[in-house]
Amino acid sequence: MTYTLDADELSIREINKRLKQLSRTGAEIHIVNSRARHNIIVGLLDRCKITVQGSVGYYSASVSDGPEVIIEGNAGWALGENLMSGTVSVTRDAGASLAAGMRGGSVYVGGSAGARAGISMKGGTLLVRGNTGFLTGFMMQEGRIIVLGDAGESVGDSMYEGTIYVAGNIGSLGSDAKEEEASEDDLIGVWQTLEDHGIDQRPAFKKIVSARRLYHFDSLERLEMSAV
Amino acid sequence: MCGISGIMYKKSSDRDSAPIGSELVKMLDALAHRGRDSTGITIAGEKTAEDYIVRTWTNAEQASDVMAKAEEAIIRTGAVVASSTYLNGFGRLTVNYEGKVSDLASALVNTKGIELHSIGESSEIIKDVGTSTSIDTIHQISRFRGTHGIGHVRMATESKIDINHAHPFWAYPFPDVTVVHNGQLTNYHKLKHMYEDQGHRFQTGNDSEIIAVYLADKLANGDTLDSALQQSLNDLDGTFTYLVSTRNGLGYAKDQWAAKPLVAMETDDIIALASEEIALHSIFDTVADRVEPQESEVMTWSV
Repeated sequence: MTYTLDADELSIREINKRLKQLSRTGAEIHIVNSRARHNIIVGLLDRCKITVQGSVGYYSASVSDGPEVIIEGNAGWALGENLMSGTVSVTRDAGASLAAGMRGGSVYVGGSAGARAGISMKGGTLLVRGNTGFLTGFMMQEGRIIVLGDAGESVGDSMYEGTIYVAGNIGSLGSDAKEEEASEDDLIGVWQTLEDHGIDQRPAFKKIVSARRLYHFDSLERLEMSAV
Repeated sequence: MCGISGIMYKKSSDRDSAPIGSELVKMLDALAHRGRDSTGITIAGEKTAEDYIVRTWTNAEQASDVMAKAEEAIIRTGAVVASSTYLNGFGRLTVNYEGKVSDLASALVNTKGIELHSIGESSEIIKDVGTSTSIDTIHQISRFRGTHGIGHVRMATESKIDINHAHPFWAYPFPDVTVVHNGQLTNYHKLKHMYEDQGHRFQTGNDSEIIAVYLADKLANGDTLDSALQQSLNDLDGTFTYLVSTRNGLGYAKDQWAAKPLVAMETDDIIALASEEIALHSIFDTVADRVEPQESEVMTWSV
């Protein structure tokens, strides 16, 4: 069953309420006339397929667990924030703080992204076909960021864990980020992700990880000490 | 949080006649969630037959007495008041004047009870407390036409909420140079003291006003608008995305942290800038390739 929700007729709150009901039925849902409005598709906990025919504003496809979201347009700030699982893809550009605090699933951007892409990421995969801005992977904690274009200044600044792969140029490395050689396994994994998204390119990647000097990685928490 | 927007028509056939007022009102209405304390716009391009358009405001109880004193002060500078309209303490005067704009400006600000919002050859600031729709009803902004303009909806963070502290801010005493700002400037007091020592005048306690004064100072020293904006990236500390409107120009500058949003769209005919894409959808049926300017980015256009 396919349903169409018109954002010119329904408020965003009503759309999100309808999405919550419809997603439980496994329905396929189209959203039209989104016109870059904010908070479209939030808090969905079921597997369902949603296509937005147009741009979305801030916090779209955020705090969700399971949906498959396709946005045919641009996205504003914090697309896919705190995504637990599922897939989010946007055909054009995404704003700043893309996939902020994402924990799982995948976020794909067909165009370019703004500043702080993958900020505080805690899992999952973020794939950007174009460029990313300032502070890509800032304070990243887990997961993978793959950038097919260029990444801006301060890539991987203050990252704890996780990996950033950049095919193009890097503006500069952030504090406590370092470049290391990507292994064959790393590249196979990245290329698999590209293939999953129908991308034929198999470029070489710069791999950026934490240099692990900024934080006290070796000091133990009280509970950990008792376990040693 | 605040919302900013800007628009410029590039084609000479559209000059002076584009519906800048109504389009800025629509864009600011779409950004109303970013600030409801006050709203203001600069309309530029509709050149009057007179030399300058002067915009003033007074909250004095005897507004008409204060306005009369202001007109006397203008006349004492050698200027001729060609027209004057007053509404709820707001004054719009057109004057013919061949002297220095700084003399005209100081004659006005030295008139007790008068607040000077702008002097421009073809630009004027209209600002008030309330949302864009409410100030459009009062000030009939939608009827203003021109080549370009900037607008602002304010959610106050740094100084009080009143008409004077609403954006845009005029770059006293530079005709037509006005600024709207989203962000907070952390070296405001330091810069303010420095500029006051140099004789610059501040009309308010709003941190954003420093950008207008800063640009006025740079332009006075012969810098181009582009160069002034570039230098501001280093000299202004804090978070900012700001827009500037001049007699013939429009520009933006975004801080080194990319902390405050902006989207920019340019077609063959038009340039549109806004905090969020939602504002572009309020005036365009289709939003073509819009870009999000990155950190430390500056851009200027001119007609």
